[in-house]
Amino acid sequence: MKSRISLEKFEEIRAKILKERETEKTCITICGGTGCHAYGCLKVARSFEEEVKSENLQESVDVRITGCHGFCERGPIVVIQPEGIFYQRVELKDVKEIILETIVNKKIIPRLLYVDPRTEEKIVLEKEVPFYKKQERIVFGNNGFLDPADIKDYIALGGYQAISKVLFDMTSEKVIEEIKKSGLRGRGGAGFLTGKKWEVCREVSSDGKYIICNADEGDPGAYMDRSLLEGNPHSVIEGMVIGAYAIGASEGFIYVRREYPLAVKNITIALEQARAYGLLGDSILGSEFHFKIHVVQGAGAFVSGEESALMASIEGRRAFPKQRPPYPAQEGLWGKPTNINNVETWANVPYIIKNGADWFSNIGTEKSKGTKIFSLVGKINNTGLVEVPMGMTLREIIFDIGGGIKDNKKFKAVQTGGPSGGCIPASMLDLPIDFERLTEVGSMMGSGGMIVMDENTCMVDVARYFLEFTQEESCGKCVPCRVGTKQIVDVLTRITKGKGEKGDIEKLKELSNTVKTGSLCGLGGTAPNPVLTTINYFRDEYEAHIERKSCPAFVCKDLIAYYIEPEKCVGCLLCLKSCPTEAIRGERKKVHVIDQELCIKCGACFDVCPPKVMAVSKVTGRKKERLLKKVSSARAKR
Amino acid sequence: MKITIDNKEIEVEGKKTILEVAREKEIFIPSLCDHPRLAPFTGCRLCIVEVKGTRGYPPSCGTYVEDGMEVRTKTPKLQKLRRQILELILSEHPNACLICSEKDKCDEYKSTIRKVGETTGCVLCSNNGRCELQDVVEALNIKEVSLPSLYRNFEIRKDDPFFDRNYNLCILCGRCVRICHEVRGASTISFVYRGTEAVVSTVLDRNLLDSGCQFCGACVDVCPTGALAERAVRPEGLADKTVKTICPLCSLGCELKIELKGGRILRSVPSAEGPVNQGQACVKGRFTISDLVYSPQRIVKPLIKKKGRLEEVNWEEALDFVARKLRKYKSNELAVISSSQATNEENYLFQKFAQQGLKTKNIDNTARYSPLACYWEWAQEKVLSPRLNFRIKDISQAKTILLLGADLTISHPVLGLSVIEAVKNGAKLIIVDPREICLNRYSSQWLRIKPGTDFYFLNSLSKILLDEEQSKETSKIKGFESFKKSLDEIEMTKCSEITGISEEDLKTTSRIMLDDGPAVFLFGLGLTQHPSAKDNLTALWNLSLLRKAQLYPLSLEHNGRGELEIRRSFREGLDFKQISQAVNKKIIKALYLAGPFPLLEKKKPEFLVIQDSFVNENMKLADAILPGTTFAETEGTCINLEGRIQKLHRVIEPSGEAKPDWWIISQLAQNMGYQGFSHKSPFQILKEMKKTVPAFAGISNALLDNGKEIFIQEGKEEKGKFIPLEYKRPPSKVRKEFPFLMLIDYNLDYYRGLNLSKEIKGMRIIRDSRWIKINPEDAEELKLNDGEEVEFGSGSKRVKGVAKLSDAIPRGIILASFLFNEKPEFSVSRLSSGLNPDDYPLKMLPVKIYRGK
Repeated sequence: MKSRISLEKFEEIRAKILKERETEKTCITICGGTGCHAYGCLKVARSFEEEVKSENLQESVDVRITGCHGFCERGPIVVIQPEGIFYQRVELKDVKEIILETIVNKKIIPRLLYVDPRTEEKIVLEKEVPFYKKQERIVFGNNGFLDPADIKDYIALGGYQAISKVLFDMTSEKVIEEIKKSGLRGRGGAGFLTGKKWEVCREVSSDGKYIICNADEGDPGAYMDRSLLEGNPHSVIEGMVIGAYAIGASEGFIYVRREYPLAVKNITIALEQARAYGLLGDSILGSEFHFKIHVVQGAGAFVSGEESALMASIEGRRAFPKQRPPYPAQEGLWGKPTNINNVETWANVPYIIKNGADWFSNIGTEKSKGTKIFSLVGKINNTGLVEVPMGMTLREIIFDIGGGIKDNKKFKAVQTGGPSGGCIPASMLDLPIDFERLTEVGSMMGSGGMIVMDENTCMVDVARYFLEFTQEESCGKCVPCRVGTKQIVDVLTRITKGKGEKGDIEKLKELSNTVKTGSLCGLGGTAPNPVLTTINYFRDEYEAHIERKSCPAFVCKDLIAYYIEPEKCVGCLLCLKSCPTEAIRGERKKVHVIDQELCIKCGACFDVCPPKVMAVSKVTGRKKERLLKKVSSARAKR
Repeated sequence: MKITIDNKEIEVEGKKTILEVAREKEIFIPSLCDHPRLAPFTGCRLCIVEVKGTRGYPPSCGTYVEDGMEVRTKTPKLQKLRRQILELILSEHPNACLICSEKDKCDEYKSTIRKVGETTGCVLCSNNGRCELQDVVEALNIKEVSLPSLYRNFEIRKDDPFFDRNYNLCILCGRCVRICHEVRGASTISFVYRGTEAVVSTVLDRNLLDSGCQFCGACVDVCPTGALAERAVRPEGLADKTVKTICPLCSLGCELKIELKGGRILRSVPSAEGPVNQGQACVKGRFTISDLVYSPQRIVKPLIKKKGRLEEVNWEEALDFVARKLRKYKSNELAVISSSQATNEENYLFQKFAQQGLKTKNIDNTARYSPLACYWEWAQEKVLSPRLNFRIKDISQAKTILLLGADLTISHPVLGLSVIEAVKNGAKLIIVDPREICLNRYSSQWLRIKPGTDFYFLNSLSKILLDEEQSKETSKIKGFESFKKSLDEIEMTKCSEITGISEEDLKTTSRIMLDDGPAVFLFGLGLTQHPSAKDNLTALWNLSLLRKAQLYPLSLEHNGRGELEIRRSFREGLDFKQISQAVNKKIIKALYLAGPFPLLEKKKPEFLVIQDSFVNENMKLADAILPGTTFAETEGTCINLEGRIQKLHRVIEPSGEAKPDWWIISQLAQNMGYQGFSHKSPFQILKEMKKTVPAFAGISNALLDNGKEIFIQEGKEEKGKFIPLEYKRPPSKVRKEFPFLMLIDYNLDYYRGLNLSKEIKGMRIIRDSRWIKINPEDAEELKLNDGEEVEFGSGSKRVKGVAKLSDAIPRGIILASFLFNEKPEFSVSRLSSGLNPDDYPLKMLPVKIYRGK
């Protein structure tokens, strides 16, 4: 049975869509990413639609909810195309003004423009915003232009051209050759050469093969895969069809977490539309190639992102990783050869086919080609998703794109690659980012999480936090990961509680080594990275905790105390009133004192003390000991 | 291919893991999660090795050898990593005793402490000495654990029969989970939660009983630690002797290892080398053997009636008494009931005693009603000589399996495993049963047939098969045309109505049937305990010819096949039912009972001898009681349902003055002056049988001892022929006054006179013989609660039972256990004894439920 839509028919459809859009209309695009959703972008969009109607502008103005623009810090984002006027933090009340001023009168509203914090200059165009300026948005490029729920937008932008190229002009060997030549490496973390991986799977003979799109993005703070599925699902589908053709798979699965309802919704809509357009199913575009895609929702276990665990989960079993070999390419889903790639990898594929391997391999470094999307989070001004060419330095990403550290604090470290990545210190800010370099310094690319930490971050506490996460998410199958991480967490917890002992650092290193070398899968194999890198780069902090019972960043509650400096206190009662445990005594205009025994170190007094006064301070280590001694001796006297 | 392990060159054939090869060559690699019956798990990480050219440390249990592989198993790096990993395991497991410097001196007397609930160290653990963790600690020479203890403090689960679960001792090797899933197909337990909270549990953490557990004990047997501990032997410590013998509790003949301490049975575990069971058993073989042998119901002294009262006497007096009385009766006034749970030699002697001594042909037993015996009898009538021998392992190779009227998981549990294995290998399983049975989850088709309509179903299926495909070979088979013609009488729509199976389901079934590959038809009592049993068999036979399928009749009792083979070589007189009727009519005046028999109550014959190991209800009426031993106290041979002959070994000395059946019969015969009963051992009897019973030709004690698989001799199999069908009245309709059809749950839960599902506590919990299973909706209409005592029956004949609500039972049907040894008020057999058994076979008695008090 041939598909109802042949290639010719499809190209006719494309021509028709393009014709419809020939006249250049003004398009108000509203970012519909999850971040902007949270800011209420849907209400804004609806209001735009109403206003356009009431002003009778339907003929000349389109309103479109698009995929994520990436600059989540500034949502809801509204970009007026084709000019590319960038309005940020747009609220309901601004809508009418935008329509009247910008759309009708062609005037810019300065209030809504982005202000470069460094130059205090107001920036009109999206591409001029420093956050975007240094980015190279290939995979993300179309996110801001298309409505993910409308396949026509994707087709209008040249979508699904790669499929027809592949199906009718390329053999499967040729496709693999092209991907190999591009130097594309898996964006899921390990960075295996995608073309090579496909080739291995292609060469295994079997009566059935599968491909999988891994959209089980579990790293806390990383959300580029979600954004892609939400914002440009057809690019992922197109990539999968190409991969399936190259490998010879007839069925594909998108394994997406249930916690991503919008991604599930958009990909499901996109699949339906692709089927309706003859781009999925039997005889795709009238060719001899058949391929279908199913969406499987994961229940949210972190380990399900591990490929073998993911396949177990698709099969309906507990998400337990499996020893390799056999690799998925040999024995994967239901024992059949299976190729599994991450969302971002799949999304890169159509662009490589369309623009050629050479184009792609010109971007990036020698061994890491193309761009990579990072989710820039933490103590940074411009939180969001950034797509940069491989080889960009951390400094460029964090300071030029990210806009530097919040509140002008000092940069301390950046943690890359999710919870089992490593912490990279300030001295390495000029490290060009690619797969090898990150591994060399003890971290990893991972899925591209980038958590920026400032001077107020305790590195021991950070290590404990990440290990607690991986510990809780350990599947429990192998001993080193299940028990080893628990032992590490216990030692770290002990240290942050001021109960560290001599030799703890060595104990941690030894346990970390056991977990790293002994574990079954990548989860355990990388889980100790935060410990090892923080010991490596911030050993003095560990020593301060263990030897001096001091937390230099004033984070570990058990190691710090709050203290009101009598010389500075003006007796305003603010802290006294805010204290939840009534630990602060004092009278108006008289110096306040914190009862250390009642204090629960919530920091409320520290926060409310007026910046001019700054009488409340944190003390740690010997200072704290001295303070406590003073308090107890004072009590003894009484 | 060639590989080297620790520089030792090794030749390897086939797909094997490094660990398997190392084990074969006796190269020790520590491991805790690996198990020969299970797929590699690679969780414990102790069996890691170094392989030249491979990154990291691959686990040897999950790494398959390749030509030229160079493996190192004991480098200092490996040993260090192993020790660290083992320390991690020990940090979760109570380890004080493992690393105690006094551990070798720690005294036996501490064993009484094992009775305490909490296990804090090895000396308090029931697995002490059997624990694989201990072995690994020893091998890796762990002297201290530098890590702090992470005791998990789980509550010990004691709410199930037979064994306790203490997950504080669990090392999460997953063997229990995997054996339950991979081998037993029950999937009762699984890992739940993640991280340090990861633990083995059931759905919603219910107890095993409510989670579909069959209590086969496979999980207990594979557990490397004391996490799963058999309650009965918790405080007992290690066995000092192990004897292998054959389990007598169903017709499979699983090999059991009976563990003894001080001459007393501790427990029974399945033998990994057992040719039938390969390390598997069921709840009966695993957990009831010692309770059975040491049951308080045992009779250990001969008794004879003196002045109206049974009195203990010595054997001489008892035998004299019985011989004297028996001599008084003419041969046609005598009958003997033997037991198909006794050995071949004993059954032979029973026959010889009856036929040559008492000169009566009136000897029979309950095995006559087994599907096997029915099948054989039917074949005799049709002048067919089908093969009766088969191989269980052929079932696991089959591609199509038709299972009719047998809940294998209960009746033949280990046989059920082969069916599951077949399904896992890609076979399609079709189940024909009104009940929802355990194997349903593995079936491609479950045909919920109306009871007693198998004949119509089987013929409809034949008709569709013939319509859809007719190979030349089939049409060449003798009788084809007349068979085909007889099929034409079938009206499909009417058949659907009669059987309750839709035409669509039939079509689907026929499509499965048309698949290629070996097919096996297994049939149980559901097909044969029925007035039209023989018609059913004809229909099934024809179907099997059409599909080229093997017919596997399921024998019931332990030695049913042996009993049949022996019976075949003697003449036959009154059968079981006729004997029962003749007793009622006082034609039979002296009855010698060595096997189950309906309650005699007021119909006691003039002289009644009972030879049994356990007290049974008829004993109150007996004139003499002769205590026989159990299987564990005797030796001999038995034949399982495949036709495999195996040897029973004497495990313990006879209890009290009990004697093996063969001894009792031979002594009695000699006392009566009969010739040819001077055997000194069962093997002398076997020698004689070799000459007189054709099936035993060529079988000798020596042959049995050399460990080969031996099947009994069969006559030549003749080419099959189709048998034309004869249509009889459709099955009886339910009558208004008796709205329920009673089906019999024939689960073989007895051994001689002992009712296991009543007398053994754990068995009573999992399947009480007094349960009357009923559909919850029917129960609701009757306002019956689960566990409520009810009366049921037809007319004046009523018996009691306990309502057990079960979704597995269709509406309008109740399922009752059938045991001759039940107390009269609970004995289902009473319902039928007065009726003409041909009218209403036990299987389908219309009854009414009268509410309890």
